[in-house]
Amino acid sequence: MLLPIQMTRVLIVGSRGALKDTIELLYRLEAAHLIDFSAEEEGFSLGAPLPESSEASQRLLKLRSLEKDMGVDAAEVRGRMDVAQIEKDLAATIAELEVEITSVTESRNKLAGRINELEAERAVLKGFLGIPLDMEMYSGYESLRVLTGKVRGDPSVAVRAAAPQSEVFLSDSGDFVAVFVAKAQADEAQRALAQFGFTEVPVPAKSGSPQQLVARADEELTALRASLEEAVRKLEELRERHAAFVKAADEHLSIVVEKAETPLRVGTTEYAFAMDAWVPTSDVPKVEKAIAEGLGGKVHLEALATAPRKEAHASHEGEENPKSLAEEAPTKTENGRIVKQFEYMERMLSTPKYNEIDPTVTMMITIPIFFGLMVGDIGYGIPFMILGWLGLRNCRSDEWRTISTLLFYGGIWATIFGVFLFGEMYGIHFAEQPHDMSWSSLLGVQLPHEIAIGGFEIPLGIYSKLHNVKPILYMTIWIGLIHVFIGYVIGVYNKAIRFGLKHAILERFSWLLIVIGGALLLLIVVDAMILGKTVELTDLRILIAAPLIVVGILLAYKGEGAAAILDLPGLMGNVISYTRLAAIGMSKAGLALAFNTIAFEVLWGHDFLVPGSNSGDTIILIAVLAIFLVGHLTIFILAIISAGLHSLRLHYVEFFMKFYEGGGVDFKPLKVIRKYTIEKNGVSE
Amino acid sequence: MADAGLIALSAGIAVGITGMASAWAEKEIGSAAIGAMAENEKLFGKGLILTVIPETIVIFGMVVAILLWLNM
Repeated sequence: MLLPIQMTRVLIVGSRGALKDTIELLYRLEAAHLIDFSAEEEGFSLGAPLPESSEASQRLLKLRSLEKDMGVDAAEVRGRMDVAQIEKDLAATIAELEVEITSVTESRNKLAGRINELEAERAVLKGFLGIPLDMEMYSGYESLRVLTGKVRGDPSVAVRAAAPQSEVFLSDSGDFVAVFVAKAQADEAQRALAQFGFTEVPVPAKSGSPQQLVARADEELTALRASLEEAVRKLEELRERHAAFVKAADEHLSIVVEKAETPLRVGTTEYAFAMDAWVPTSDVPKVEKAIAEGLGGKVHLEALATAPRKEAHASHEGEENPKSLAEEAPTKTENGRIVKQFEYMERMLSTPKYNEIDPTVTMMITIPIFFGLMVGDIGYGIPFMILGWLGLRNCRSDEWRTISTLLFYGGIWATIFGVFLFGEMYGIHFAEQPHDMSWSSLLGVQLPHEIAIGGFEIPLGIYSKLHNVKPILYMTIWIGLIHVFIGYVIGVYNKAIRFGLKHAILERFSWLLIVIGGALLLLIVVDAMILGKTVELTDLRILIAAPLIVVGILLAYKGEGAAAILDLPGLMGNVISYTRLAAIGMSKAGLALAFNTIAFEVLWGHDFLVPGSNSGDTIILIAVLAIFLVGHLTIFILAIISAGLHSLRLHYVEFFMKFYEGGGVDFKPLKVIRKYTIEKNGVSE
Repeated sequence: MADAGLIALSAGIAVGITGMASAWAEKEIGSAAIGAMAENEKLFGKGLILTVIPETIVIFGMVVAILLWLNM
């Protein structure tokens, strides 16, 4: 169940005329993972695309360019269209759309071009507005040179000093100048102008007063803008009318092209074809029957071999074994609805191999627990649950769904741990505390330390994250030991089915022994260092632990060589790494304590020794609530990042390294996914 | 206790220096991981793992600090 589904390699051969029908059939069955034909086999050559491919490709190309012109947005397309309807209307609609859209976009582009031109012209003319001269007066002189352009400051005096035979016109706004100067003195005038930051603006070849010219340009611009708007509106109208059809036709044509190009992955001879594929073993009879019945004996399916889980062990490093069937088979996992929500988290790392356990189930159990333990506060847990639930209802993308899943299930555990283990909300405990404020002291009511459910006294808060660090740290180390232990157990199983029992014992079981020995030693370390007891060397726990560890190391050394010894401190590091479960909870509790102290004790004057005490100032209360809200929102967001990321990391690094290899190939059967179309006459609907 | 100040300082140093060490190591790995991700988005998971591996350094520092604090 935990292993990926068993796969069988099949060979489908048939007469070439039946290739198209075979492809159609396989697409309908959705059970065949095609293996690309390698051109090495003698007598076979790569198949040619089916004839409809080229026409469909061309149409698709046209359609896509139309789509781009229209700016079709996938999000606004709703509903599905019947494929038969699309087929019927396709040619006519594309032709019609092409004419309409081309004419509209052409006129739109032309208009936009002309508008740009006019705007540039108008910008040039603007400078001349401030000088009372008509445009024709600027040119046509034999002995005069005219310099026009922008300046910073009034250059009249300087220019007249440098070039006495000159006349300077400065615009009313003082930033545009026209200088009429005798040709002989033009250079001097230019030098004088340069000191005022002169940038030349060439005189446009126009006649008439600049005022008139600008007015005329404005008039034309207004008219052009109106027609541009008209063109854009028309395009929008076209989009509204045709978007659904265009999107559906795009999808339909893409499917046609994909199917028509499938022969490129198949080996063919003049009269026959042969395709290699992986089919889930349980589906082989179904596929065989469908081929026999549906294709009238022209095609034959031969089940070649069922991929074994076992593969050869690379005994020396660098030695490349030829890929065995077990390594090539694609991975198809069959997870239930809830487990599936966690699949993406696992796939983010890698797809499991065909012959190893899919660890999604284990992730589903422990990731939310770790998340909940790190957050451990009902005040954050319930909002996490709500946020996750909303996300799961509304989000479609894999990434957001994964985050929502983590928040929802993590939120459930955060609430459970928050109520029963830590007994706190927003970093404040429910029941009265000896050193801190609590909701009891804050609100002036007596909240219980425990509740009775069906005769059992259930505690509301056993530990305080900041005051009981020792037991929480101790607990997290045990969680680490157990988690790593489970990792090695799965490792033993994986190695056993892949390489046989001997390798499993040498490479994984050995480490299991070391973990058990280490756990016993941990008890002793706690006794000696924390409880201060003296430990005898003849202590039963040492007598059991020492041989376990020695045997474990010897076995591991035999299996993996000297690297095993180097891995020992790594194992210790892995286990200590789980103390982050406590550390992150503590850091959040510390932050919460800081905000709560500022808000309630400093500002609102609450004294936890006097229940319900406060300064009673309403305005201060508003400030207190604002600080409380902003502070806890910060912690809330930090919690998503740190708790989420760290629980993932504990799995990816500490847990998966014990058994997981990954690098499998996803099972991708021939199938089509329709979003905008529906095949009414087809068998698949 | 007269040594309380020294113990507190030591705990601070333990967390502080290991924190810097983690940050430095993660910075180098992180930038390389982002570079790899830019070429192939599928490397996100692996990049994330490699980036957070040095985090363990600061966790060790913190465990040391907590042990010091508990013995205060």
